[in-house]
Amino acid sequence: MSLPDPRAARVFRFVRRDWCADEARVDLVYAFDDGPELVETLRFSGAPRLPAERESAFAVALDLMHWIAGVSYYKAGVPPAIACEGRVPDTETAELLDLVYTEGLAEFAHQNGLDLAGRVRFPRAEAAGPPALALGLARRALVPVGGGKDSIVTLEALRVSGEPVLAAWVGASPLIAAVVARSGLPALRVERTLSPLLFEMNRAGAWNGHIPVTAINSAILVAAAILHDADEVVFSNERSASAPTLEADGRAVNHQWSKGWDFERRFGELVERHVAADLRYYSLLRPLSELAVTRRFARHERYDDVFSSCNRNFRILGERPGSRWCGQCPKCHFVFLALAPFVPKLRLLAIFGRNLLDDPAQAAGFDALIEWNAAKPFECVGEAVESRAAFAAIATRPEWREDELVARFRTQILPRLGASVPPLDALLAPAGPHRIPARLAGFLDADR
Amino acid sequence: MSADSVDPRYVVLKFGGTSVSSKSRWQTIARLAAERYGQDLRVVVVVSALSGITNALEQLIETAASGGDAQAAAAAIADRHLRFVVGLGLAGAPGLGEWLARLAALAADPRAATRDYAWQAEVLALGELMSSTLGARVLEAAGLAVEWLDAREWLTAARLPNQSPWAARLSVSCEAAPNPAMRQALARRSPVLITQGFIARHPDGGTAILGRGGSDTSAAYLGALLAAERVEIWTDVAGMFSANPRVVPQSRLLRRLDYEEAQEIATTGAKVLHPRCLTPVREAGVPLLVKDTNRPELEGTMIGPRERENEQPGVKAISARTGITLVSMESIGMYQQVGFLADVFAIFKRHGLSIDLIGSAETNVTVSLDPTENLVNSNVIEALCRDLEPVCRVKVIAPCAAITMVGRGMRSLLATLSPVLAEFGRETVHLISQSSNDLNLTFVVAEARADLVPALHALLVRAGAMRLDDEASFGPAWSELYAPAAPRAATSPWWIARRDELLALIAHEDGPRYVYDLATVRARAAALRTALSAVDRCYYAMKANAHPAVLRAIADSGFGIECVSWAEIEAADAAIPGLAAEQLLFTPNFAPRREYERAFARGARVTVDALHPLAEWPAVFAGREIVLRVDPGHGSGHHEKVITGGDESKFGVALSDLPEARRLARAAGCRIVALHAHLGSGIGEVGTFRDLHAWLAALAEDFPEVTRINIGGGLGVPYREDDAALDLAALGAALAEVKRHYPQYRLWMEPGRYLVAEAGVLLARVTQVKRKAGRTWVGLETGMNSLIRPSLYEAWHEICNLSRLDEPADTVCEVVGPICESGDVLGEHRRLPAPREGDVILVATAGAYGAVMASRYNLREPAAEVVL
Repeated sequence: MSLPDPRAARVFRFVRRDWCADEARVDLVYAFDDGPELVETLRFSGAPRLPAERESAFAVALDLMHWIAGVSYYKAGVPPAIACEGRVPDTETAELLDLVYTEGLAEFAHQNGLDLAGRVRFPRAEAAGPPALALGLARRALVPVGGGKDSIVTLEALRVSGEPVLAAWVGASPLIAAVVARSGLPALRVERTLSPLLFEMNRAGAWNGHIPVTAINSAILVAAAILHDADEVVFSNERSASAPTLEADGRAVNHQWSKGWDFERRFGELVERHVAADLRYYSLLRPLSELAVTRRFARHERYDDVFSSCNRNFRILGERPGSRWCGQCPKCHFVFLALAPFVPKLRLLAIFGRNLLDDPAQAAGFDALIEWNAAKPFECVGEAVESRAAFAAIATRPEWREDELVARFRTQILPRLGASVPPLDALLAPAGPHRIPARLAGFLDADR
Repeated sequence: MSADSVDPRYVVLKFGGTSVSSKSRWQTIARLAAERYGQDLRVVVVVSALSGITNALEQLIETAASGGDAQAAAAAIADRHLRFVVGLGLAGAPGLGEWLARLAALAADPRAATRDYAWQAEVLALGELMSSTLGARVLEAAGLAVEWLDAREWLTAARLPNQSPWAARLSVSCEAAPNPAMRQALARRSPVLITQGFIARHPDGGTAILGRGGSDTSAAYLGALLAAERVEIWTDVAGMFSANPRVVPQSRLLRRLDYEEAQEIATTGAKVLHPRCLTPVREAGVPLLVKDTNRPELEGTMIGPRERENEQPGVKAISARTGITLVSMESIGMYQQVGFLADVFAIFKRHGLSIDLIGSAETNVTVSLDPTENLVNSNVIEALCRDLEPVCRVKVIAPCAAITMVGRGMRSLLATLSPVLAEFGRETVHLISQSSNDLNLTFVVAEARADLVPALHALLVRAGAMRLDDEASFGPAWSELYAPAAPRAATSPWWIARRDELLALIAHEDGPRYVYDLATVRARAAALRTALSAVDRCYYAMKANAHPAVLRAIADSGFGIECVSWAEIEAADAAIPGLAAEQLLFTPNFAPRREYERAFARGARVTVDALHPLAEWPAVFAGREIVLRVDPGHGSGHHEKVITGGDESKFGVALSDLPEARRLARAAGCRIVALHAHLGSGIGEVGTFRDLHAWLAALAEDFPEVTRINIGGGLGVPYREDDAALDLAALGAALAEVKRHYPQYRLWMEPGRYLVAEAGVLLARVTQVKRKAGRTWVGLETGMNSLIRPSLYEAWHEICNLSRLDEPADTVCEVVGPICESGDVLGEHRRLPAPREGDVILVATAGAYGAVMASRYNLREPAAEVVL
């Protein structure tokens, strides 16, 4: 069977979403024009039965999930029109969806030479929906775990504060499963299966590229929170996620827009107004720099041999460091550099299984982090000033200073950067807006 | 043996925690003791604590010291022993109650608050005191005349200079010079004695602990004191092996080692024996035997004095220790600065760091530190470097692995070791160390390269440095003893069943012949398709064997064809009428521009493995889809010449060039729709393919247009009888697992050798037989001109005398060809039924890279091809 080319389609359709309570499964159904249905399936295995009084709020959460998760499919064709055949979003929701589909696809659009500005417009209902009710959700934080350092900092901070925590993850990553197991916390997993037709469309040449995956996971976990009776969904996005990664044709492109403050604020407010008045969505790490997060992570030795922030090898689990850390991608470079000032050198080398800062082949990778004759990589890494400060800090340390790339930084780069390198301490203070509840305020100055 | 014998003879048997923790093992212990008693030996049985009990006692110490509920911990330990009494089928265990009461009292002892070392020693000693008390009852119940002996009566801790209070109590050593009085005294006791490992008398009359490896050391001390006939260490493996058997299943049991060799092997990696237990037995000249309690019938490792002074040099074992840290210190002082080393070493001592290996030059000294928890999780390295900074420029190199070869006469082996040294030559070697006793050679490399050990072990064997033919030293392979592999095929090779047919065929042919069995080709193809269901498309790498009938058989089995030259595409088209364009994959290397143009015109999928074509011939690629071959930065394979990944390899686009490749492709108007990597040939480990698949899939996520992944070929084929066959089912499962995580990618493979190697044989007649310098040279009518693999890759092919298959293989032959090259050797040292002129010799597993690599060198026509 040959599929119609989604790039020739006129309209992207939200056909329906089916909730099967017996199997705790939802099917999200999409289509281009009158083409075949694209069905994505989510399974909330082990979820308790939903009480009747929460059904309407859950239905709103499922709609939101249906609309946001559609971005994976919409991008295959980027048709000029969008049609919602079930409920139509209210104006506030439609505005957020327009943003998710433009800002969240900005890198995709840039890579494919597309202009989405003005192209995305969700249909919207004139009347605002009924305001969300308080569901009486239990005091419990659902914390999405990514397998990397950030969510470990959140999990451990909440644990120390005596908060009830549910470690949550979407997908089947054995690495995340290992991190969750190491935490010893109760866990929930959402299984997500994309429509295989999407892969076929891609093979046939459909548009493909980066999608705002955190927005999708946020919507999934808000629904999961209602199912599992939790009143908070606590992400682990830090301050630098809000900064654009690139300027293109006068437009800011942020690789991690849905990890940024703008999305967090809008989505969090929308959930409280339209889904459940007592369901809070926020990031515990929002006011922290990457370095501040890294310093906090350094206290948690017990995750050393299971965690990984590397994007490359992350779905397949191996025992050796080399199968968790590729050692070549910007994430590996950044995490290595950012941990170096805060953990004993031999511990860091044991985590990675090698010394990236003593390997001349990695010079270009580290140059990109400090924006030295290179642009910051298109990845979730800290700001250049953080990398520079970390480099400068270890350049004074006797156990680091002779390593190839540290010596190179110390003798060739640092003298020319001059005053643009702040001391490490200056970058560790919390700053900027956040939605952290007042009762956790102590977390922010816990180590000052 | 009676107690009043003038010269009592002793044997000491030591059993570890797992050996004393089950009833059936105690039955073994009783039987072994009885057997030795029956051989006129007085028996001393030394036991460890029940498994897990020493740890439990250590935890009890922690609990008591930190004010926790130590009584509960004591009760749990008591419960474990009382339940074991029942498990052993004993009505009771007189004596045990006394120790349990002692345990409860110690748990409440006020000395706990100060972690008093004497108190800790008393607590820790209870494990062995209890297990030996139980053991005495078990042996008694088995009918032995057994008596319990307190080890502290005879083992006394030695006072050593500079000993810390901790070591003086909890990590002691004992004097162990032969003690005739003890021999006589014990001869007046029961003929079977059971006593404790791990514990000794402190000079103050209290209890002391031997510390790590303590029970083995107790046995060694007792053996030395008694001048025993031997000490037997009974453990969970048959002895010491030529490498860590978990990493190298082909490692060989070491039947016999001298003390020094055993000491080196134990020190550099082997876990089976603690190195400190060898000194007492060596000093007393008492042999030490390592045996497997589960498999007493296995011969074990006998360690004794050096027997043959003029023994041939050879490597006995290879091991790797990981977690090594090197500290390299560059002197910044004056020429021949006096006291530099003394200053430096004093600083290490101050930080409590003990140095293992040392390498030095005029201006640099580099030392190694063994891994300790303190080293990794504290700032001791930072503090050390700060103190070293004023005297030298210091650099910390970690994590490293120390790979050590152990054997006598290492220096005289250097020439033989050249393939091994060449292997190290490809790595960054940070330090080489060799001591004056000429027993070891150590290379310190990056820790990740500890994975070289299996390959190095194989190289040592192949190079003749590890002399497996020395049967006095080398026993069977670990895999043979513990994991007998399924025979490589349930049935014998096809050519045995079709022997008469082959002999008849060659009788009518003039000259040598390659003969192919298509049924085997089809069977391999079917097996591959069935097992590797995760693979969406298989392309046969026709460079392995391009015979038209072979190509047709494989295409009929549903395979596409992978070609590396335009001529191969033409040959595939000629052999397979109607070959669909999507079944053709073109993967050339340094091919000229016109071959790419023709391949696109033919409709084949085209692989690009360099920037040059995209940069220089963009018009060729405009509007096309391509596969990009990536160099994963490392390779794999049975020989260096078949490794096709890594900086040394000419294949693939370097990782660092990928952004440029993507830019060039975009500029040329072509789409990269698949990523490809190929590591090499003859890869037998499933994990290699799994890792490559996962790596490529993760890499592909940076390429939005990529929807297919090609993990190449290189599936290993067993050439030797003891080569393990690649586990296809495991490979299929591993690939399916990766695919579950990356469902968006179609998976391709390019098997070649796997389909055809075993389907082909080379038949050639014997031309002449020559005896020279004690060797028998058997000449064939063809050699490297037909089959170059042995010369080129040192490949091993099974060779048999097909004319005399049923006669005894009584002659060791060098099987050679007629080409004027010393390298024209098909097989060395092969045991064959004595060949005579005209006999038909069969070279097996010659279906891949045989005929396709043949030449007319010396103007000798290579073997023609025949299909059965």
